[in-house]
This record gives sequence, structure tokens and C-alpha cells, in this order.
Amino acid sequence: MTPAAFLESVGAQATSASGRLIQSALNLLERLGETSRLLVRMIRRLPLAAKNPRLLASQTWRMGVSSLPLVVVISVFIGAVTAIQAHYQFRGFIPDTYLGTAVCKFVIIESGPVLTALVLAGRIGSAIAAEVGTMKEKEELDAMAVLDLDPLRYLALPRLLGALLSFPLLVILADCLALLGGWAIAAGTLKVTTATYVHGIRFLFDTYDLWVGLLKAFCFGGVVALMGFYQGVKAGAGAKGVGQAAMRSVVSSCVWILMLDFVIVYIVY
Amino acid sequence: MKPPDSIIELRGLEKSFGRQKVLKGVDLTARRGETMVIIGTSGGGKSVILKHCIGLLQPDAGEVVVDGQVISRRHFSDAQTIRRRMGMLFQGSALFDSMNVGENIKFAVREHNRDLTEDALDAMVEEKLRLINLSPDIRFKMPSELSGGMKKRLGLARAIAMNPEILLYDEPTTGLDPITSDVINDLILDMQQKLGVTSLVVTHDMVSAYKVANRIAMLHEGRIIFMGTPDEIRAASNPYVQQFIRGQRKLGATD
Repeated sequence: MTPAAFLESVGAQATSASGRLIQSALNLLERLGETSRLLVRMIRRLPLAAKNPRLLASQTWRMGVSSLPLVVVISVFIGAVTAIQAHYQFRGFIPDTYLGTAVCKFVIIESGPVLTALVLAGRIGSAIAAEVGTMKEKEELDAMAVLDLDPLRYLALPRLLGALLSFPLLVILADCLALLGGWAIAAGTLKVTTATYVHGIRFLFDTYDLWVGLLKAFCFGGVVALMGFYQGVKAGAGAKGVGQAAMRSVVSSCVWILMLDFVIVYIVY
Repeated sequence: MKPPDSIIELRGLEKSFGRQKVLKGVDLTARRGETMVIIGTSGGGKSVILKHCIGLLQPDAGEVVVDGQVISRRHFSDAQTIRRRMGMLFQGSALFDSMNVGENIKFAVREHNRDLTEDALDAMVEEKLRLINLSPDIRFKMPSELSGGMKKRLGLARAIAMNPEILLYDEPTTGLDPITSDVINDLILDMQQKLGVTSLVVTHDMVSAYKVANRIAMLHEGRIIFMGTPDEIRAASNPYVQQFIRGQRKLGATD
């Protein structure tokens, strides 16, 4: 290959690479715009939610109660791991009095809402995307439109509100169970007394942190429901399309959860 | 100026999906009270025509006029009123899987008539099920427990729940055995006779087309190339029409 041809091919590759990059950025912006528009359209329908309390109740039940076993298991382990890690890092420097403090702060501000939301994005977000994607594939969304039933009101809104209601409640439970998991390890294997652990929790406990955690949970619930519904509606044809929609809903929810977590922490602290 | 008895008019309808132009100027008029059948090869755009008629798709060019109102305008404001006058039976029935038979039929009716009592809704469900020759006892079954033919009939019961004036059928007999197909054909005729509805049926099943149609339109390469009664289509000289209605692989082949 001559030097001129080589440079030409490098130039063409660079142009095509930058073209792809620009195209990806434009696609991202388009999806962002579509998601924002979807959210606005859902919010506009909020007053209609009270007319279908059964739909809201069933979605809240499906998301909240059905997720309990998963939340119980992950929370206890998160608390236990946090206690072990904190105890190991403190050794020789920080007294055990602060073990409960570290577990409490980390669980309530970060791990409770964030890790619970990430796990629920996998469970609830993928389920919404797969369900809505399958409904689209089987023309149920078209059937709703033909019957003059608004899919946003009857499908999206109950799921959004169900997630907004159930996520904070699940996070409160997750926080309590994580503290319990931390206590079990502290008292059982780390030789930290219950009184010391509880004293540590109460030492720097601030209800403001709890509210921040709940605010995060509320926002993360909205993100998971929104992404699940959006990816379901955008699902491609067939089993592959539905599978990809479920996967995309989990990935996009997780990215949004972590970005929102940063934004909230940056603003409130 | 629309002909006095026309209820659905398609004027120069064009639609593309990506680079593929599916409809290239479809002109079609369905008269009030008739059953019009649209035939054509699979993937030729027949269902696309139906979806335009009920406003699920918007054309790239051309107009869809339903009872004198152009519904294909981007900001058509009376879509709700028009849709409530129409019903559609989908190819795969499109039943709501999470609801039982009774709920499938009464869900939309309840939402649009908040004053109706549950007893009135149950009576309506019973009436519609009887109209399509299904026992009211199945109203507590889930769609997954029904056979293909029963699902189609239930889809029809749901489509007529709001007493529409226009019924659209998307491949109503596809995937059904010949006997069950004939049951569906009889129901299409019943709907015309008992309810006086205008029907637009999309199919490639010629047995069904001959049985239910007042007129048959053939869609070929994005345009309507023939329109006439079942007898007229049998006698048509167009080679594509003859190829299709005889089910021949090659154009101009003899029996």
C-alpha cells in the first residue's frame, strides 16, 4: 500500500468512526427526548389514576409484595458484608463503637436505596419491558387504541405509580434488614456487643439521611418503571426483540440510577 | 364530493416503511352496510390499509375519510368518536391475556360508560357471547384456556361490545381449520345481517372471500387493481387476479 493510499484509508476510517460517534450521540439524544416526552405524558395523566384504583393496587402489589423475598435476602447480606468490611478497615485505628455508625450511614444513604434499586431494575424493569413488549408483539396495544383505551393511562401510569409507591417502602425495609444483618455479624462473629452496635447507629443518626435515601428510592422507582415501559413500547419483533427490550431496560435503568444517585448526592450534601 | 352511500373512502393512500413503499396510491370506497373483502398476497399491505381506516397508522400521502370526516389529518380532533363507532378483529385476536373472557369484553365498555352497573355489564357480556354462539359459562376462563377459533370469536365479541357501525376483520380465518373458518364466515355474515354493520375484511382465503363478500378488491403491488362482485372477479381478465384467485405459482398458468 502506498503512503497516500494508507493515509486515505486511515482518513476514511476516522471519518466513518466520527460519523458513527455522531450518529450514536444523536440516537442517545433522540431516546432522551422520547423518554422525557413519555414522562411528561404520564404526569399529565396523574389525575386519572384515581379512577382505576384496582389497576394501581394490583401493580403496587406485584412490584412491592412480590419483591419482598429478594429484598430480604439482598439486604441482610449487604448489611452483613458492610459490617465485616467496616470492622476490617477499622482494625487498630477506629474503635468498634463506630461500627454501627458506619453500617448505618452507608446503608441508609447509599447501599439501601442504590443496591435495592439496581436489583429491582433487574426484577421489575425487565418484567415491565417484557410484558409491554409482548403486548405490542401480540397487537394488544393496538387493540387498546382501537377500543379507545389509552395505553399510557391503563398500562404505564399504574406501573409508574406502583413503582413510585413501592420502592421507598421496599428501601425502608431494606435499610432495617441491612442494619439487622450488620448486627447479626457484629454480635455473632466480630465480638461487638449489641449495645455498642446500637449506640454506634444512634451516634450520628440523622433523619435527613433517611429522607435523602427515600428521595433516591422514589426517583429510582420512577426511572425503572419509565425505562421498562419505554423499552417495552420500542421492542422489536419476536422473542429476540422482547428479550433485547428487557435487557435494554435493565441496562438503561442501572445507568440512570447511578447517574441520578450522583446528582442527588451532589445537590443535597 | 363523496358518493351518498359511502362510509369509508381511501383516496390516493400512500405509505412507506423505511425504504419499502407498501401502498402506492390506494383508492377504495366501502358502501354503508356492505361487506367488502380486500384480497392480496401476504405482506402486500392489506392489514396496513385496515390500520389506516381506524387511525392506527397515518398515511404519507392521501386521505382516509370515514363517514365524511377526514381522519388522516395529523391533528384530527374527533378520533375518539370515530373509533367508538368502529370495531376490529385482529389477526391474532389480540385478547388481553391478563383478563378473563368477561373482562376482555366489558373492560372498554365499563371505562367509556362509568354509569353502567356490573349487572348491566354482565348482561351485555352474556348477550355478546350468545351472539357469537359461545356459552356465557366461559366468561370466567382466561384467553390461554381457549382454542384458536374461540379466541377469534371472543375477539369478535369484544369488537362488537360497543355496538360499532363498522367492523374491520384482519385475516379472520387465518390459522383455523376449514370448519372453524366457516363458523367465522357465518359470524361475519351474521354481523352484517343482525347488526347491519359495514365490514371490511382482509384475507387471502378465497373460500372465505367468496362466501362473505358483497364486493372484492384486489391489492397488488400497492394499488387496487380490481374491484367487483365475487362473480365479476371469477370472470376477471386481469392475469394477476386470475393467478391469485386460482392460487397459481406462475402468472398465466392453466389448470
